[in-house]
Amino acid sequence: MRYNLFNQTGYIIRFYLRRDRFLIVGWLILIVGLMGGAAAKFDSIYGTKAALASIVTTLKTPAMKAMFGSFTAKPPYTSAIIYASEMMVFMGLVFAMMNIYFAVKNSRTEEDNGTLELIRAHSVGKLSPLIAVIIELFVINLINGVLIAISLEFAGMTGTDILGNCLFGLGLAAFGFMFGMMSLLVSQLANNSRGATILSYLILGFTYIARMLTDVKNTNYTWITMFGLIEKLEIYTENNWLPVLYMVLSALLLLFVTIFASTHRDVAAGLIPTRPGRRNASFLLANPFSLILRLERISLIIWTCGLFVLGISYGSIFGNIGNLLKTNPSVAKLIGSSAIKSSNHAIILNFAATLSVVFAVIATIPAVITILRINNDEKKGWLEQIHARGISRSNIFFSYIAVALLCEALCLLVALLGMGFAGMSAKDPVSLLRFLRAFSGYLPAIYVVSGIAALFTALFPKIQNIVWILPIYGLFSMYFGNLLNFPKWAKQLTPYGWVNRVPLKEVQWNNGVVMIGLTLGLFLISYLIYSKRDLLES
Amino acid sequence: MSEKILEIKNLQKKFGKFEALKNITFDIKKGEVFGFIGPNGAGKSTTIRILLGILHANGGSAKIFGKDVWQSAVSIHKRLAYVPGDVYLWPNLTGGEIIDLFLKLNQQRHSARTDELIKQFDLDPTKKVRTYSKGNRQKVALIAAFSTAADFYIFDEPTSGLDPLMEEIFQKNVMHLKNEGKSILLSSHILSEVEKMCDRIGIIRQGKIIETGSLDDMRHLTRTVFVLETQKPLESLSQLEGVYNFKPVLDKEGVNKATFTVDSENINSVLEKLVAYKIISIQSTPPTLEDLFMRYYNQKEGSR
Ligand SMILES: Nc1ncnc2c1ncn2[C@@H]1O[C@H](COP(=O)(O)OP(=O)(O)O)[C@@H](O)[C@H]1O
Ligand SMILES: [Mg+2]
Repeated sequence: MRYNLFNQTGYIIRFYLRRDRFLIVGWLILIVGLMGGAAAKFDSIYGTKAALASIVTTLKTPAMKAMFGSFTAKPPYTSAIIYASEMMVFMGLVFAMMNIYFAVKNSRTEEDNGTLELIRAHSVGKLSPLIAVIIELFVINLINGVLIAISLEFAGMTGTDILGNCLFGLGLAAFGFMFGMMSLLVSQLANNSRGATILSYLILGFTYIARMLTDVKNTNYTWITMFGLIEKLEIYTENNWLPVLYMVLSALLLLFVTIFASTHRDVAAGLIPTRPGRRNASFLLANPFSLILRLERISLIIWTCGLFVLGISYGSIFGNIGNLLKTNPSVAKLIGSSAIKSSNHAIILNFAATLSVVFAVIATIPAVITILRINNDEKKGWLEQIHARGISRSNIFFSYIAVALLCEALCLLVALLGMGFAGMSAKDPVSLLRFLRAFSGYLPAIYVVSGIAALFTALFPKIQNIVWILPIYGLFSMYFGNLLNFPKWAKQLTPYGWVNRVPLKEVQWNNGVVMIGLTLGLFLISYLIYSKRDLLES
Repeated sequence: MSEKILEIKNLQKKFGKFEALKNITFDIKKGEVFGFIGPNGAGKSTTIRILLGILHANGGSAKIFGKDVWQSAVSIHKRLAYVPGDVYLWPNLTGGEIIDLFLKLNQQRHSARTDELIKQFDLDPTKKVRTYSKGNRQKVALIAAFSTAADFYIFDEPTSGLDPLMEEIFQKNVMHLKNEGKSILLSSHILSEVEKMCDRIGIIRQGKIIETGSLDDMRHLTRTVFVLETQKPLESLSQLEGVYNFKPVLDKEGVNKATFTVDSENINSVLEKLVAYKIISIQSTPPTLEDLFMRYYNQKEGSR
């Protein structure tokens, strides 16, 4: 019988694609929907010369560079150029997330579940499963890229050209594939899927922050940040294909390292070895709460540090942002020096208000993960032994909730503090306490999101992942709400939109009290439902 | 009058339309080891999960220590220990940490007995669960259960991942509990295990208890296997009341040798008649649980 490293690869690819078809279609709808939907609106929003001129000035401010990337196009401006510059960084993030999702799912998760062992036991080549994932990722990215190009062609914004549309789609595809390969490599190093996901997101976050800093401080370095490659395509102006080549080359390099790493380790083991652990439980590990805290320890530390670093990174550009003299000298000349100071503050606080939503959304992610773990852990059978001990369901349920609430509060707090501390470097710094308004303002809102997550856990365990729409939409409406002229109700669809622009404005305490009340109600209802139902099984 | 630890009456459970448990009724008395046997998918684990308050029954009642298993789950669990057949544990904790945690969750501590059990079962408690095999994970649950001071122990096919050596240690520890007067529910596939340890057994099939009683009671219901050699031809033997599965062994001079089974009720009358055939040799084997098991399993639905 013929037996080699790549035996049955084709079969496994077909198997993966068939199994993942709904997920793939889901991501496709999300991505092409975002791209196409925005493209359809841009001409009407930026149809006039005046609108174009004003958005270009806005995009050239440091705050906007930090969020959307540097705006380098030369006049004459068209709505297509604006579109490309506004969408690129955000879509890059979405593509990277999709690739991390599929890469980890079909490599590391598969191994954790033991499925890979079953597959390998058949006459399947040693490298076949890995090659199959690589090809699957390639196919997914390509389909997304081609559909984006087609949908852009159909949307027909002013200023688009077919070459630019193709570059847009294929550029994003190459970018996604590069991050997919990165995540696949990380999956070889980590020794479980959660670790692989966390590590991948850390790298993504790191490149994103590096890109932001270079965009604001010196765009010449954006090239080397990996993430920044995607900003160098100069779509609809120069249509520069060189970055695509770089991304493909990086992907290939990562791919070879991945294959090398995978041939040097055993199934279900990581290259980072496991050390022997404790013989006895520490006295702290004694109840469900401390157990969950212990299990979430690493990710809690990573999320907290990550958000702190993110806060610091944004805060460190306050000096560039809140400096009217530099960014808009003609205006600065007109108003007095005290007026300059207060308008500098206003600019910083306005930017801080936008960032606060970002922090709030990101802070909810670990909390939602923790709450959804109630069902995920249950399905894995991890909770059966706890339920069989003298531990009530309310104890288990509320322990998860408590860890989640604690975690998101901490994450939000450190992000704001990081931003505040780093913001001290600005010429006329805003006081640290002022930023904490955003904490009091947003905490009730993110608690409501957790409450909704709990309700989904209890009520719809099978489709609980739908709750991710809240943070995703929250981030989207925050990112694009103003640029796409979202109506008020569309911004208020998620609890993130129920908060006023803190820390620029005062905290609306009565609003907060209502949200806390709502949160409590949601938790109570969720618990009542949860306590009456069967435990889930895999 | 001995106190009842477990009382199940007409227990029913549906998963959607599928009736996993149709009618389960049995008791366990104090100090009794009860064997719960039945083929895969019969409903053993479902029954046990209802007893643990993990699943909610659709009908009937189940009480442990006289309290409802759903309503009073927490207080019941304080005096109960449980080992499932498939043990799943947090991969990034060590076996030692989990054993201690389980003990603490029942307000108990790591004792000398715990250490002794870890040694007996030959478990390395410093390893992360991620690196454990199925058997090792089962050992973690078994050690935690055996070192928990409880009044009622539930084991659901606890030895399915253990090697024979470990199985023996499991049995030794169950006997230890039995001698201490603890009550035990043991669901098992390994009949020799049940035969050795259980005072009474219940057989479940397709969501119904089809038989309960002591092993002796059940033997009474089963057939003894005979191998007989006689001087006279013995074809006519197959006509006797209570004789089944008559299989002649052909010789040159006709049928002088045969195997057959006899209903326990009819053994006396059959044996009386055998003398007339002039017995050369006779062997009888008592029914094992295996026979009993096979007999129930092979029955088509409704034939009983
Ligand atoms: N959560 C569930 N949903 C649907 N069917 C189930 C579920 N759990 C068990 N069953 C079904 O109930 C029957 C009894 O299962 P189980 O109690 O695990 O059997 P046993 O432990 O005797 O092998 C099986 O047919 C099984 O498929
Ligand atoms: Mg079972």
